[in-house]
Amino acid sequence: MKKNRIVIAILLVTAFITGAAFMQQTKITVKGSDTMVILAQRWAEIYMKKNPAVAIQVTGGGSGVGIAALINGTTDIASSSRPIKSTEVEKLKARYNTLGVEISCAKDGITVFLNESNKLKELTLKQLSDIYQARITNWKQLGGDDAPVKLYGRENSSGTYVFFKDEVVKGDYAASCQTLPGTAAVVNAVKKDKYGIGYGGAAYAAGVKHCMIKKDEKTTGFLPTPETIARNQYPITRYLYLYMRNRPSGETKKYIDWILGPEGQKIITEVGYFPVK
Amino acid sequence: MKKTITILLMITGTLVVYSQNASDTLQERMETLIGRINSLDERVALNESDLGKLTKIKVSGYIQAQFETSPYNLAKPTEPENTFYIRRARIKFTYEATDGVKFVLQPDFSTGNLSLKDAYAVASLPKFPSLSLWAGQFNRPNYEVEYSSGQREVLERSRVIRTIYPGEREVGAKLEFNPVKVPVKLQLAVLNGNFTGGQQKDVDTRKDIMSRVVYSLNFSGAGIGIDIGAHGYFGGLMSKIKYVSDLENNMDSTASNYKSYLDKKWGGIEIQAFFDILGGMALKGEYIAGKNAFVGTSKTDPYKTRAFSGYYVYFIKNIGKKNQFVARYDYFDPNTKLSGDAVKKEIYYRTLTLAWQYYLNDNIRFSLNYELPKNETNADNKKDIKDNIFGIRMQARF
Repeated sequence: MKKNRIVIAILLVTAFITGAAFMQQTKITVKGSDTMVILAQRWAEIYMKKNPAVAIQVTGGGSGVGIAALINGTTDIASSSRPIKSTEVEKLKARYNTLGVEISCAKDGITVFLNESNKLKELTLKQLSDIYQARITNWKQLGGDDAPVKLYGRENSSGTYVFFKDEVVKGDYAASCQTLPGTAAVVNAVKKDKYGIGYGGAAYAAGVKHCMIKKDEKTTGFLPTPETIARNQYPITRYLYLYMRNRPSGETKKYIDWILGPEGQKIITEVGYFPVK
Repeated sequence: MKKTITILLMITGTLVVYSQNASDTLQERMETLIGRINSLDERVALNESDLGKLTKIKVSGYIQAQFETSPYNLAKPTEPENTFYIRRARIKFTYEATDGVKFVLQPDFSTGNLSLKDAYAVASLPKFPSLSLWAGQFNRPNYEVEYSSGQREVLERSRVIRTIYPGEREVGAKLEFNPVKVPVKLQLAVLNGNFTGGQQKDVDTRKDIMSRVVYSLNFSGAGIGIDIGAHGYFGGLMSKIKYVSDLENNMDSTASNYKSYLDKKWGGIEIQAFFDILGGMALKGEYIAGKNAFVGTSKTDPYKTRAFSGYYVYFIKNIGKKNQFVARYDYFDPNTKLSGDAVKKEIYYRTLTLAWQYYLNDNIRFSLNYELPKNETNADNKKDIKDNIFGIRMQARF
């Protein structure tokens, strides 16, 4: 009799613990790109409303910070506005014996911001590179006002900084380029500075003029729009990524599948980015 | 009436003078404030410039404190060994002067053994950022050598690597090619070739060449990554006496041996495979074989040339985010031409190492390690020597 009571008690406790485990909220952490933080927060808010058993925590800090957090195990998902570097993959291999999982979740056109009173409307990629390497230092060299060019950019933990450097500047940024934390800060700075120029994700570009970009002098300039991005006409287009240590499973997989599905992709366009397909 | 007008004029005049003074005072204050703001701007710009230089210096390092126990003591073979000790205590300073230019300095401060590990400069050509030139003291181009001791899953490198690459580092120059769009890595190094960790300059005039190539295959859909590669060592050791023991341990005392070069030539193939299975798993292996040469001092201790071979295989399994199980099997035969009876001290070893790692966080790791070497038996060692080593290590890394 006493033995039966003990067995029943053990079964009840086991059932309780198992039930509690199922009732416990699953937590998913997303950390990284400041470019993607608004998008990631929107995704999280809408998904959590539909799935109250899942708690998703989103923080920024920059693509580099997110990937470092993925490597040291303090985040489940790293959002990044640049591809993972080979040195970062080596660290993942050494620590977790995997190559990591890369998911392209959206497209972005890096917008070049000019103050609304700036006469210039378009620049070539070469001119942009020269501006950011301080080979062009006065707007009059480009047909604008006789005024020094004021450069605004991002800090080096930013994926946007790395992407713009690798694809456009193709060299060192000028020492005079003022680094700012986040695209919103860059937009704000250019908005207040008649002779400022900055760059950042398309979703933040309100209150400043968007500069048309052309591949070279002979081609047409384009603004980043859904059509020019989809047709690969806009020259500074990039993918936005989500990285994980391992192939996702359970609630994380459901969340990723939702992001890549019609609902998640619709939110991308609402925020100002472009669907991955 | 006149009085009233006069008083009004006086008051008005006073007011005008007062407001003029107030305006001048306000103007002066604004100019003073603008001046102060401008000077603050200059100071901030100077501080930013200094801070910018400081952020180019990165300091990292690790300390490995461990406890080891073994029934076999190298200094006194009949007595057991049981000790705490600092295996490594390293600080690495990296200064990235500009994109593609880097300086690295890494001393090791383990007890009674202050030594220089790394001291090199790296420069990439601006038009060829994938190509970099290294000069100074750096790791020899080999997988297990370049795999940091701070990351390695077992306490020590395999026996073959420890023997043919003593001290891991060499002094020389190296070209590395790491293209961004092609998953290949090429290394070509020209080295002194006789470095064992202590000497400042080479002992002969011939330089040794090392080359290595690795190609990475990525099957991301299946969660598999494979790196395959090969390396070669082409060098020689100048004999400073005429006594040389050849590959079959025959003494050659021909006069022409003096200042002749003994071959140090070997090749290796390597593979590392990573599998995204239940949290991560890796299989790594390398096989190396060739001829090595060793320094001698006299007729009774001649220079030696030996044919050798060795290999290792790692199995590493991640268990959750914080634990790892590791098993390594390594084999090393220092003399493939002769048995252990022919040359009593040149016996082969088969070693099984089992380890468990626990990552407390990104900075602290605990390791349990059990190494079970099994030696070739001969007339001197009729049984396996009882030299298993059990070690516990705490590593703090920053």
